[in-house]
Formats: sequence, structure tokens, C-alpha cells
Amino acid sequence: MHLEVIGLTKFFGGLAAINDIDIHVDHGEIVGLIGPNGAGKTTLFNLITGFLRPTKGKIAFEGKDITGKKPHLIAKLGIGRTFQLVPLFADFSVLQNVVASFHLRPRSRVWEAFLNTGTYRRKEEYILKRSEEILLLLGLHEVKNVLAKNLPHGYQKMLGMARALAVDPTLLLLDEPIGGMNANEIVFTRAAIEKMRHQGVSILLVEHNMQIMDICDRVVVINFGQKIADGTLSEVRENEKVIRAYFGGEGAA
Amino acid sequence: MIETEISLRASGRLARIVAYTAVLVISLLLPLWIRSPYLIHVFNLTLINIIAASSLRLIAVSGQLSLGHAGFMSIGAYTAGGLAKHLGWAAWITIPVGAVATMIVAILVGYLFVRLRAIYFSMVSLFFGIGVLAVNQVCEKFTGGYAGLIGVPVMFAGSKVQNYYFFIGLTVFSLLALYRIETCRIGVTLKAIAQSHLVASSVGINEAGYRVFAMGVGCFFVGLSGAAYAHYFAVLSHSSFNFLASVNMLVYVLVGGIGSFAGPIVGTTVLIIIPELFRMLKAYVPYLFAAIMIIVIFVMPEGLVGLPGQIISWIKGSRERKDTHAP
Repeated sequence: MHLEVIGLTKFFGGLAAINDIDIHVDHGEIVGLIGPNGAGKTTLFNLITGFLRPTKGKIAFEGKDITGKKPHLIAKLGIGRTFQLVPLFADFSVLQNVVASFHLRPRSRVWEAFLNTGTYRRKEEYILKRSEEILLLLGLHEVKNVLAKNLPHGYQKMLGMARALAVDPTLLLLDEPIGGMNANEIVFTRAAIEKMRHQGVSILLVEHNMQIMDICDRVVVINFGQKIADGTLSEVRENEKVIRAYFGGEGAA
Repeated sequence: MIETEISLRASGRLARIVAYTAVLVISLLLPLWIRSPYLIHVFNLTLINIIAASSLRLIAVSGQLSLGHAGFMSIGAYTAGGLAKHLGWAAWITIPVGAVATMIVAILVGYLFVRLRAIYFSMVSLFFGIGVLAVNQVCEKFTGGYAGLIGVPVMFAGSKVQNYYFFIGLTVFSLLALYRIETCRIGVTLKAIAQSHLVASSVGINEAGYRVFAMGVGCFFVGLSGAAYAHYFAVLSHSSFNFLASVNMLVYVLVGGIGSFAGPIVGTTVLIIIPELFRMLKAYVPYLFAAIMIIVIFVMPEGLVGLPGQIISWIKGSRERKDTHAP
């Protein structure tokens, strides 16, 4: 199993934002995480990537316990992530954003960079080449010299994904990858996610928009911090709890 | 549609090398024209402050604005001065020791305050700057307390010009190191952290580690300038390193242009030499500073360094306007 979350719980004061959740992602799988606003999806992401510490529970990545590790150490293990509200290196160009994100593989020591050694120069050349490849893969190559803050919203989201790929992840966490995108951009993003999967990357994605859920092998639904369904898209669609959570009805909280 | 900044920067590289070399050559030849020991003294003061302001800017590049930089400078100054006066160490040893001591203190302090960002960091650095001076009073035997540390052995006694060349060397060394740090991957990483620490840690950047690194290196160089200061002035008074001194350093950086490496160099030069040119107006110097600061902030967002570019685009703009009015 690639990622395994067991009994994860997070309290904010007296409020359980995440309550005893179990989730797993297998190698090469695309898992969708859906739920109404405030269900705790982004909190779950922040727990997995170390931006928040869980109150209880365990997170294991490739069999190793990573609960409570710092974000940069989790990135080092090969978990890449994007953010919902596209924070990026706003004053860097698109290319610089990706180049700056190549911090781990390859990794240059501070003194190597300072002394401009041969290994450092070779690593930088490799990083530049890889960055261009990633930009080509995600269709950002034509705008590589544009400052990130001047990009249209859809491109900024794609840039977030490009940056996450620079970590050379085996597991990618995408927080609303198509939020606010137009129809063309959605088609393109779907294709990009498929391409990443073919390169052997497992993906856990959060999304409201159902237009992307059919590429998921499995869908997990959470509501009020609790898991209410886990299965294929068609299974989940039939689930009564899910229908109630989304459309209300008798017994809905 | 949008100007490609990277290509513009590449073409500016040669121009920048030429400009820096020209400034260095002129600086080296300056004592041939200027015989006044007083003016050489002003230049020495400028060089010391250029190192201090440039080192402050490195910390700013990582997204932190220090308001206690003069406090760190005093650590270098008193360490070097004290060791030389009380233990008789030579300046060639005390100056590096002063710089390293400052760096060690900065790293320890940096680890304590690393969770604080932006304004909170500025507040704590302000209090640190004041606190250092208080410690200085306590260790009266070593630092001289309120009376000041008097009788630090002077390097190149009696020759301001020799001192001048020594400071040029020290400045070139410091600026080359700082420039290299800023332009290689380390600088890219620091700038990335300054723009978004969330994204930076999501791609595996150890935000805390790099912030402490910037503090350590920035304070190494301000300690270096402080130690050199001690061996130049021979007398250390704690009022030279008070809050106002920290603010002055920040003003040099902001007026010159915090966004560019040349900013603190230009800012320090202009703001130290202008008041000296109008010595008869000495009483009005604080007002002059304030006026320059206000003008720069309102009219020159990129500082004095951005002024030529602004003038060029202004001329181009007015020419274009004329063209559109032509029949």
C-alpha cells in the first residue's frame, strides 16, 4: 500500500475537523476525495503533508510512519502537493518557479552552490532540462518567461502541478486541480493527470467538481470530518448517506 | 504580451560587470584626487556602512526585516575591540573572530526566533538590538559600559588612506560573497521562501534552516564591519549601535532599493556623502533624511537604483505620446 491513513483525528479546539478517518491509496491508483464544503478535505491534506499535526491516528507512507513529520521532510520522501488557493512564487517566472522547486532531486549542498563546483553546474543544467520537460508535459512551455502572478487562473493551477512534479513525487496530492477552470483547461488537466498516472505516480485528489471524478479508480466521500463512503464512483453515487449529504433529505444533519 | 524579464536580465549582465568594475576602479583612484583626510574618513565610514547595509539586505531577501542589525554589529565591534584591548590580540585575528562570534550569536538567536515571520520577527529583532546594549552595560569590565570602550589598538595608525584601501578590500570581499550567495541557487531558495513559505516547504525546502542561514551569513558580515569599525575608530560608544543606527541601515537599503543588489551600495553612498557635502546644514540632516525617504518611497518604488530605468521609460513614454499627436 502506498499511503495508509489509520484512525486519523484532528481537533480544532472542541471541534473535530477530522474524526477517525481511514483512507488508503494503492500504487498507481487515482483516488478522489469529495465532500461538501467544510467536510475537512483540505485539513486532511494538510495533515498528510505535515502542515498540521494530527491529534490522534497514524499516517504511513510506503510502510513507514510519517505522522507529525515536518513538511519539507515529507516532500523529501516523495509526496508532492498543490494548494487550493494557488499560492506560488508570484514574482518568479513560470520557469523559475519550477527551477526553484527542484530542491531535493538533485540536491546541491550550500557550499557546492556557493563555490560553483562542476557537480553543481551539472545539476543545474539537469534541473533546467527537467523543468523544460515538465513545462512541455503540462502545456506551460509557451508562457515559461511570464511572471507567475500575471498568469491566468487556469495556468496558475497548472503551474502548481508543475511545481509539485519537481519534487519527483511517487504520490501526488492535488487540492481542487480544476477549481475555477474553463472547459478547455479541464480537458487538458484531465489529460495531464492521466499522463502522470502513466508515469507511475499515485494520485489523491480533492474536488467538488464531478467532471473529473470519472478518472478516479476509487472515490472516498467525507462529511463533517467522517468518512461516509468508499468505493467506485458508481457505488458511491448509489450510497444513501452520500445522497443525503449532498442533497439533504430525511435524517440529514 | 508580457515582457520576458529573463532575456532582459541576460543582456544587462555585461553592463552590470562594466558598471561594477568602473565603480571599483574609480574608488581605487579616488585618494589620488582627494587629499583631504576628512573626506577619506567619510569614505571609510561609507564603506563600513555599505557592508552592514548589504548584509542587512541578505536577511531581507529571505523575507525578514531586521530592526536590530546594529545590535549585531556591536557584537562584532565589542568582541574585536575587547580582545584587542584586554588580551592584546592582533587585528588580523580579532576581526575574523568578531565576525564569527556575531554569526554564532545570530544562529542561536535565529533558531529561537525562527518560527516568527514578518512583523513578529521585526519586533523581536528590535528588542534584541536593545537587549544587546543592555548586556553591554552589564559586562562593564570587558565592554567599558556607559563610558565606552576606549583605547582599542588602531590599524594603520595615522594613515587614513591605508585604512581606506583596507576597507575597499574588505568591502569587495564581502560584496563578492553576498553577490554569489544571492545569484546562485541559495539566493533563489531564499527568494522562494520569502514569496511563499508554504509552497517552499511543500517542495522540500527547509524553511527554518534557510532563514537561520541567512541570519548567520548576514550577521557574519555585519560583525565583520563592526570589528573593522572598532579597529578604525579606537573608541566604541554604545550609542553608535542603538536603535537609530539599525533604522539608518534600513533607510540606506530602502532608499537605494531593496529589490536590487546595488541598492544598499547606492543608498549608503548617497545618504552618507550628501549630509557631509552640506555640513553647514548639519542640524537639518535628520529632516533631509526624512525628506529623501518620503520622496523615494512615493516617487521611486524601486529606490534610487530604479531611477535611470524610470527616466528612460518616462522619456520613451513622452515620445510615444508626441508620436500619437502627430498629424
